[in-house]
Amino acid sequence: MKVSLNWLRQYVELPGSLTIDQLCHDLTMRTVEVEGAESPAKALEGIAAGVITGIQPHPQADMLRVCQVDVGMPEPAVIVCGGSNVRIGMTVAVALPGARVRWHGEGEPVVIKPTKLRGVKSGGMICAASEMELDGLFPEGGEHEILDLSDFPAKPGDPVALVLGLDDIVLEIDNKSLTNRPDLWGHYGIARELSAIYACPLKPLPAFVRPNGLPEYPVSILSTQRCRRYAGLVYEGLDNALSPYWLRLALWTAGVRPISSLVDITNYTMLAVGQPTHGFDRNSVRREIIVRNARSGEQLTLLDGQTLKLTPEDLVICDTEEPVALAGIMGGQRDSILEDTGEMLLEIANFEPIGIRRSAGRFQIRTESAIRNEKGLDPQRVDLAMTVADGLIRKLYPEAKLTAFTDRYPVRAEELKIHVKPDWLSTRLGRELGLQQISGLLTPLGFDIMRESDGLSVTVPSWRATGDIKYQDDILEEVARMIGYDQFDFIPPAVLLTGAVSQPRVLLERRIREYLSFQCGMQEVFTYPWVSRKYIAAAGIQPENCLQLATPPSPDTACLRPSLVPGLLATAALNMKYFDDFSIYEMTQVFAQGSTHPSEAGESLPLQRKFLAAGFVGADPRTLFRTAKGVLECLPRAVMAEPLSFEQRDKPDWADQKAWLNILLSGEVIGSLGIVARKTARAADMKRGQMALFEINADMILPLPSRSNKFESLPLYPLVEQDFSVTLDESVSWERITALIQGYVKSIGFIEEYRGKQIPEGKKSIMFRVRFGSEAGTMTAAQIDEKMRSIIKKLGSLGGEVRR
Amino acid sequence: MQERLRILKASAEAAISAAENAETLTEIRHQYLGKKGELTLILKELGSLDPEERKQIGKAANEVKQAITDILALREETLVGEGSCIQGAIDLTLPGLPPVSGGLHPVTQMCYDLNDAFLSLGFEVFSEDEITSEKYGFDNLNFPPDHPARDTMDTYWLAGCEEKAGAERLCLRPHLTGASVRYLKKHGAPARFVYPGRVYRNENTDARHERAFFQYEALIVEKDFAFASGQLLMRTILEKVFGRAVDIRMRAGFFPFVEPGFEIDMKCLVCGGKGCKVCKHVGWIEVMPGGTPHPNVLRAAGLDPDVWSGFYINIGLDRLVMMRYGVDDVRLFHSGDLRFLSQFR
Repeated sequence: MKVSLNWLRQYVELPGSLTIDQLCHDLTMRTVEVEGAESPAKALEGIAAGVITGIQPHPQADMLRVCQVDVGMPEPAVIVCGGSNVRIGMTVAVALPGARVRWHGEGEPVVIKPTKLRGVKSGGMICAASEMELDGLFPEGGEHEILDLSDFPAKPGDPVALVLGLDDIVLEIDNKSLTNRPDLWGHYGIARELSAIYACPLKPLPAFVRPNGLPEYPVSILSTQRCRRYAGLVYEGLDNALSPYWLRLALWTAGVRPISSLVDITNYTMLAVGQPTHGFDRNSVRREIIVRNARSGEQLTLLDGQTLKLTPEDLVICDTEEPVALAGIMGGQRDSILEDTGEMLLEIANFEPIGIRRSAGRFQIRTESAIRNEKGLDPQRVDLAMTVADGLIRKLYPEAKLTAFTDRYPVRAEELKIHVKPDWLSTRLGRELGLQQISGLLTPLGFDIMRESDGLSVTVPSWRATGDIKYQDDILEEVARMIGYDQFDFIPPAVLLTGAVSQPRVLLERRIREYLSFQCGMQEVFTYPWVSRKYIAAAGIQPENCLQLATPPSPDTACLRPSLVPGLLATAALNMKYFDDFSIYEMTQVFAQGSTHPSEAGESLPLQRKFLAAGFVGADPRTLFRTAKGVLECLPRAVMAEPLSFEQRDKPDWADQKAWLNILLSGEVIGSLGIVARKTARAADMKRGQMALFEINADMILPLPSRSNKFESLPLYPLVEQDFSVTLDESVSWERITALIQGYVKSIGFIEEYRGKQIPEGKKSIMFRVRFGSEAGTMTAAQIDEKMRSIIKKLGSLGGEVRR
Repeated sequence: MQERLRILKASAEAAISAAENAETLTEIRHQYLGKKGELTLILKELGSLDPEERKQIGKAANEVKQAITDILALREETLVGEGSCIQGAIDLTLPGLPPVSGGLHPVTQMCYDLNDAFLSLGFEVFSEDEITSEKYGFDNLNFPPDHPARDTMDTYWLAGCEEKAGAERLCLRPHLTGASVRYLKKHGAPARFVYPGRVYRNENTDARHERAFFQYEALIVEKDFAFASGQLLMRTILEKVFGRAVDIRMRAGFFPFVEPGFEIDMKCLVCGGKGCKVCKHVGWIEVMPGGTPHPNVLRAAGLDPDVWSGFYINIGLDRLVMMRYGVDDVRLFHSGDLRFLSQFR
């Protein structure tokens, strides 16, 4: 919202020493965020008033003329000008070298330099309104016309910005910081805050004098829920023309385009007190005003030309026959103020905000009126608006008459009183406050304070009783912000030492991440909880089993992930474009149908489990599989959790036919590990490389207070290390070899596996290393030989042929 | 015989002093002192000499053996002292071999930094599910029934609950604050806890806006907690995060679940408050909203607002990470792009 400082000054006399920076700071700290403050005069620097003293034709161009212009300097400026309306004696705006203008009102501003135009020197530019970006302020004027300032009191050389009264400051206020303060959506509301901040008086607006003995204009409110007040004022003897300059300037400065006097009056009223109003052409409105819900199928063509198909959700203003305006949002084209309107029906009404917001949202119409009405305005504000609008009409049209008047206000809002305990206020503020101080802070904001036996009774002004202020805590906020949040000392909180924080599950989660990232060299990623159908399908998940979003980011991403696999496939496919070898993981919640009650029985949430998934991309699937398995095998010890085991029970859809395992904890499947199947990789557009993947329900991993292994004494005598290479049937697994030998040796370690030329078909060669020793002494060669023979014999029982 | 010994000693000495490495020395040792070494052979021949000569030559041979052993040891010591493990030249400017590299997501890193700071102040870490109900997402938090955030235009509601309300209408949580009521209902007061996580808003994305983003919220609930204490809490936390003293200011801000509510600004660390591009020439950077829990929120959590008070702060994690590293597009956080993520290892 744009706020003009000159406009504010009509309502409040600010301290003379106050700087703009200070004002912005104070308003930001106490009330609303001021995003910027700029003078409209700034853009016109270097542009001066000039009087044309001579005009000659341009020797080379019919459309151009060479003008002598008195710009207050000893010599007149010679300027080539193409304006069709240029004449001797005319006061014009001259952009002198160094000033910035927009060529023909378009593009970025350019700096004026002395130049030659078709061979004639030109020391500046005589500007059209659009070239100074003032076309909003001067809506009349043809395409080739320069701005005529002859009606303004200006001496040659005067800065045009001053001549036009642009020596103002426009504050840009962040609309978001205003959402809860409907009272601030006009200059008067901001002025009230300033008057409270600087303890300077706010000028009261004169009360609207209710006319006596005037006929009523027929107004019926059929939906009193949605229209809380409706005032209709009929004025005759008007003439809808260009507004006087001061009115146009006021609107233009506040960012609203001047249109015509009657429209400008409604807009000025809104910008002054924040109350939207609407002007109807009295003679277009048939007989009466009815405020009601629209009927299904009714249509309304708005001022901007679009035709709406209405529903009973929409509130409309109707005449006898049909809707003439979308209530509180925008007027209809047929009945709103027309170019030749001479009699106006002025609507000043209060609407219930939710309906306004819904209609505006449904039709995607964001008017200044809708923005204000949807905040929830106080119905009493209609009185202020009547004062301002009536005053303007009398000022602009002294001959005009108010000929009919209606003010329907079926349910008056009750006065809101809040009981406040001063002790409570002092404790929560962290400082002692007396009644005098509290009163001094709140009264300027319109609060009325009365002492009661056990505290204070604070009457909330109508413009704050719109939901904004309800409790004593709201009063505390008013007091605190008026003192200034920066005026409070930092008070250390009283600390209660209540035992150390111990949260094993929180720690476990962090350990898992740190283990994967720092010990396993993996990169953590985050993906969205909604996943594209392509990857859902690639992972072999049925979309109908997924929870769905009602309004997803895109039609393709309605499914909420029941697994982290689709996101991981997508992420892997993306990164395969740039990298050959990488590993990634994600640990977060996944969603499934179900029913849980984390906080109360009345609330049923779906099943939400924290999963951990990891992907390993590279060239060799066997290595990838073993890498993934290794990460899982070492995880429990590293993160201090119950150990995991592996078994083939139930193949996940995404896994390769051969290379997969389920991950088990205490005999229960809690996840799967495998190579990504070829069909999955193809469906996920994984173009290069292979991928191993595991997914595990991290909620099932049980944290232990420490690592689970026991200390083993160091061997007293040296261990013997021996390598074996044994040729075995493919069907003999490593697990069987270890099971067989384990009891005889201290340790057994896999070295490598070999298939190839030297090995017959259907066989493999396995190389491994064993360590053994004796508790009694260093083993002798004979003892070692005997041990080796017994191991070889055992391997023989597996059909193994040992090569040493 | 004596002459052979003399020649042998001289040639050994020459060979030893010419030796340039340990391997050569070992060869020399073998050549002279080994089982079939030249000196060993001479010693073996002693048996064929007469006793007197044997005694003389034996003594002389042992002296030669000792001398060769000594100069071998001396030479070896010299070689060890002067020698290098590196054969040939070494280019010291070659890059080091990096350790196995992986990394936490930068948002996780920031989150853990904050966890460390809060844990040191005795806060617990709490988390709630990402799917919540209207009751916990809005009703409990003093959002009026008609608040725009409840619209489908703002919040991701789940399909199938369009006609439902309150505890039965489900959505992806629009903020973390709902978790505070869950915690307080479970654990009561006094309490101090943080609850970081991801939240969701239905909006159009660009470099500054995301549909899924991370927040970090903390709540302290104590008896009669003055809001000025909250101010101190925030300053302490920011100091821990940024590793140096940070100036903060609180100004008026509105959020339904707090009263009073604040916007909390931090003096720009880049320009020290003078105004620069980073702070848009304001000198202050908006870092978080905060405030005292609204009495209706405390009531929803089963606490008496006349007794209990406290302080919320809500930190935009993505924003903080963006500030820390100068990241210019918030969408990168969910991109999964390792070219981005690997920069934070």
